[in-house]
Amino acid sequence: MKLDSTQRTWLFISIAIFVACLAIYVPYALTAPKGPTGGSALGLAFGIVGFAFMLFAAALGARKRVPTWRLGRAQAWMRGHLWLGFLALPLILFHGGFHFGGTLTRVLMWLLIITVVSGVFGAALQNYLPKIMTNDVPLETIYDEIGHVRRLLREEADRAMESLCGPLGFKYTSDVAGQRAGGFTAMRALTATTVALRTSAAVSAGASVATAVAAAPEIILLNEEQSAPLRRFYLAELRPYLEQPKRSSRLSEAGRAKSSFAAVRTLAPASAHATITDLEEICEEARQLSLQERMHRWLHGWLLVHIPLSLALILLGAVHAVMALRY
Amino acid sequence: MAASTTPPGMVDITIDGAAVRVPAGTTVFDAARMNGVTIPTLCHLQNETPVGVCRLCLVDTGARVLAASCVRPVEPGMKVVTNSEKVLSARKTLLELLMADHPAPCARQTNSHDCELETLAQAAGITEPRFAKRTVARGQDDSSLSIAVDHDACILCDRCIRGCDEVRTNFVLGRMGKGYSAGIAFDLNSPMGDSTCVSCGECMVSCPTGALTNKSVTGTAIAEGPGAEGFEAEELLKFPVFKGVSGTFLELNRGAIVKRRFRKGELICKEGDFGSTAFYILEGRARVSISTPIAHVKTQGGSKGLFKRLTSTLVGREEDTRAEEAGDKTIPIDAAVDLSYGNPVAELGPGDLFGEMTCMNFYPRSATVRAESDVVAYEMLRNVLDIMMKNKTFKAQIDETYRRRALENHLRGVPMFADLAPDFIEHLKETVELQRFAPGQAIARQGDVADSFYLVRIGFVKISENYPGGELVLAYLSRGDYFGEIGLLGGGVRTANCTALDHVEVVRIPGEDFRQMVERFPTVRRGLELVAEERRFANQQRLEMIQGVPIDQFLSQGLMEAQSLLVLDLQNCTRCDACVNACADAHDGVTRLVRDGLRFDHYLVATSCRQCRDPLCMVGCPVGSIRRRNSLEVIIEDWCIGCGLCARNCPYGNINLHPFEVMAEDPENPGRKKATIKQKATSCDLCTHLKEPSCVYACPHDAAHRVEPRQFFQEVIHQGWKIK
Repeated sequence: MKLDSTQRTWLFISIAIFVACLAIYVPYALTAPKGPTGGSALGLAFGIVGFAFMLFAAALGARKRVPTWRLGRAQAWMRGHLWLGFLALPLILFHGGFHFGGTLTRVLMWLLIITVVSGVFGAALQNYLPKIMTNDVPLETIYDEIGHVRRLLREEADRAMESLCGPLGFKYTSDVAGQRAGGFTAMRALTATTVALRTSAAVSAGASVATAVAAAPEIILLNEEQSAPLRRFYLAELRPYLEQPKRSSRLSEAGRAKSSFAAVRTLAPASAHATITDLEEICEEARQLSLQERMHRWLHGWLLVHIPLSLALILLGAVHAVMALRY
Repeated sequence: MAASTTPPGMVDITIDGAAVRVPAGTTVFDAARMNGVTIPTLCHLQNETPVGVCRLCLVDTGARVLAASCVRPVEPGMKVVTNSEKVLSARKTLLELLMADHPAPCARQTNSHDCELETLAQAAGITEPRFAKRTVARGQDDSSLSIAVDHDACILCDRCIRGCDEVRTNFVLGRMGKGYSAGIAFDLNSPMGDSTCVSCGECMVSCPTGALTNKSVTGTAIAEGPGAEGFEAEELLKFPVFKGVSGTFLELNRGAIVKRRFRKGELICKEGDFGSTAFYILEGRARVSISTPIAHVKTQGGSKGLFKRLTSTLVGREEDTRAEEAGDKTIPIDAAVDLSYGNPVAELGPGDLFGEMTCMNFYPRSATVRAESDVVAYEMLRNVLDIMMKNKTFKAQIDETYRRRALENHLRGVPMFADLAPDFIEHLKETVELQRFAPGQAIARQGDVADSFYLVRIGFVKISENYPGGELVLAYLSRGDYFGEIGLLGGGVRTANCTALDHVEVVRIPGEDFRQMVERFPTVRRGLELVAEERRFANQQRLEMIQGVPIDQFLSQGLMEAQSLLVLDLQNCTRCDACVNACADAHDGVTRLVRDGLRFDHYLVATSCRQCRDPLCMVGCPVGSIRRRNSLEVIIEDWCIGCGLCARNCPYGNINLHPFEVMAEDPENPGRKKATIKQKATSCDLCTHLKEPSCVYACPHDAAHRVEPRQFFQEVIHQGWKIK
């Protein structure tokens, strides 16, 4: 969630709660004969409120499971999750008087700290990464479709190569019309250059979006000698990159990739330049998809730490509460 | 006949000694034809502009030289002789010259013995021309898949060129070269197969010789299916409906038409299936029906209880009447009859044609047809049906069937015509004209004189208005819709362009009949005026809306037309898909939202109906069940058959198919029912059953918004931001 001016109300409320708690805690800590403890009335109160905040924060996961239930907008739940979850840390510290106690409480404290820190880290990522992704990955597609789009890009590149160099023994799983399955992705590039979307005439003629997007490559067959550098570059570098993009490949960096394609263009006859430009665009799309994949992993990967630890925290917190109240 | 008694605008002449009176401007050829005198010709066809290049129709008008009758207009007192020795001798010489330049027998003569040139030559007793044969061959062109070109057999009559340019307005064919090497050419003398030729076949049908012949269509799927029977062209020609069809054409298209026998209860075609053929019933009766439930998708539950599960169900209009739902009592289908809303079943019999839209426009089948008794039918491909429709006998029969069985329902299907008196309907049955238009052909142009009212019978008509910088599509009209009333009721001038999007057939009601109708039936007039006013107002609003938006990108993405857009702020969106999950949760697990689409600035305009300026989804619906409300919102009527064409046509992926399990008749066990999956098209319903769209409600990151685009993007529009 973006941390902008719309969070002001929650910020003020959180500061107010924190200041109020601090105002209660400081005199209490200074005057308590044995120092602040979790078993005192005030310590217990801080613990209950802190645990309630944690429970509310954890309830967001359950809330997301029933998105259509009218239990308040998900946005309000998320703001509450962020700020109350964050406030839980000082409250629990007040609860224990900044002492980590025995084994269980020590584990709980560390769990809480890691959970809150991972949450802050996640919030920071969610604050910045969407903007970066929007700017740097204009050809973004649905994350689950990346593998499929990548396969189609590879097949499109194979077809372009075979149109230049003759049969290279590639196998295809899609027909020509299914290429550039980026669909909307490809259409974005089209609309950016003010090319009209599908027209009614195209529809009545039975044209599909895909065919409108992916123009058939011009068939210019090069002889073996002419096509050798291009074939070598394709088989040794571009195709492996399209199959499995690795960051060690020079094609994974826009600048180096540009130089590579420029070199290939120099070695290839002019009649092949248009196809090489197509290959360069395919490479660019594949690179953007890789970037999207990486960013997506960052955007959601931290949850693999945050969620299990939160659940463990709630569970152990409940055990701690029962044990503390009972014994 | 004394000249003094000739009425104004008429001309008196004599042809072969017989006095005749014809309208001024008539050609001698037409004057003779109208009075039963046949003049041979090769370059002239009734539906093409005469050019007088073959000169075979020459006649003696008493002038210094003989005249080509096809281009010579009559003059008062003209004495025309068509069969004098001088004329016959000149005609024979011309035939000899043409035959010297023609390989006899040509392909057409070999196949079906009806090369017009060779037939005329034989009649004139020409066996061996006196003149030397051509020494340099002009060659053959075998590049087209459907038409064979033999330039050597071409007599340069230009019938193919006029057919291509005037009749079909394709402008592919033209003349190339000069003198001895002159010939016809496709585009800039490209091989036919590489040219922009659309293989409509008009040139081949127009050609009098074997220069352009249809390649034999064999081995097609329709010729090999079950119940298919082979037959000879001669057998077909015995049927009255084939009278006048070229024997060569039928011979060469044996694979494109097949006689098929269906046993009682056998399925002939199924609704929603794609096909490319039409059926013409020869014997027996067939039952045409729609098996998809006549109902729409309704999502219920959310507003009644906090935790109540949302469910989507199928409900009919009697259980759930929606705003501006069509109150139609009939469902238009691709046959000579309409189906009733309450009981969508009808019967077809001998002489009925069905599947015309599927055949001509490749739309999905609009209904299921099953043999009620043993049925014999011709199944034909588009090229055959097209030629059949040009056959006057067949066309007249189809038109007559339509007038007799469907016109009344069709007229009464328009709510405001429901009150027309039976006698007036009978009058209309006699006076209306059925007109056909090819894809892209203009039916009416903005600014033309309004002289007719049109009812769409088959196909889709695009209504558009010219505006600076382009064309604004106002509406797409399909079967049952009408147009032309604004011009007739207003200033007598067409206010919009009406263009055929595909193969269109309209019922044309002449202006005079329209005027009679509105004078005699004031309720009809009031209804039409109301609709005309609403249309005028809506058109004006759309035009103003577009003129106020300066950004091309905003226009080209169709955003200015939308009343409610779902936009995702990509700078806030964490791609968590909570919106998609919420949508699926709200619609029985079938999401109507895909988190993809076009970008405008840093917003993703996600899938959800946006009431496009050019609503392509409506083009092609075989039963006309998708249309716009007056508010421009899309509504899918109850008789959607779930074929999915609208979903495929929508460029933004905003239409989905929702599967439902229903009990349907089991074809293998007549009388019993079994559970089957039927689909219904659905588009975003804005979760109208809830207070806020689920996608927006469930977005935890304040990224999803339902917005009024012009207001939401106001800043972008007025500052003219550069779109990323």
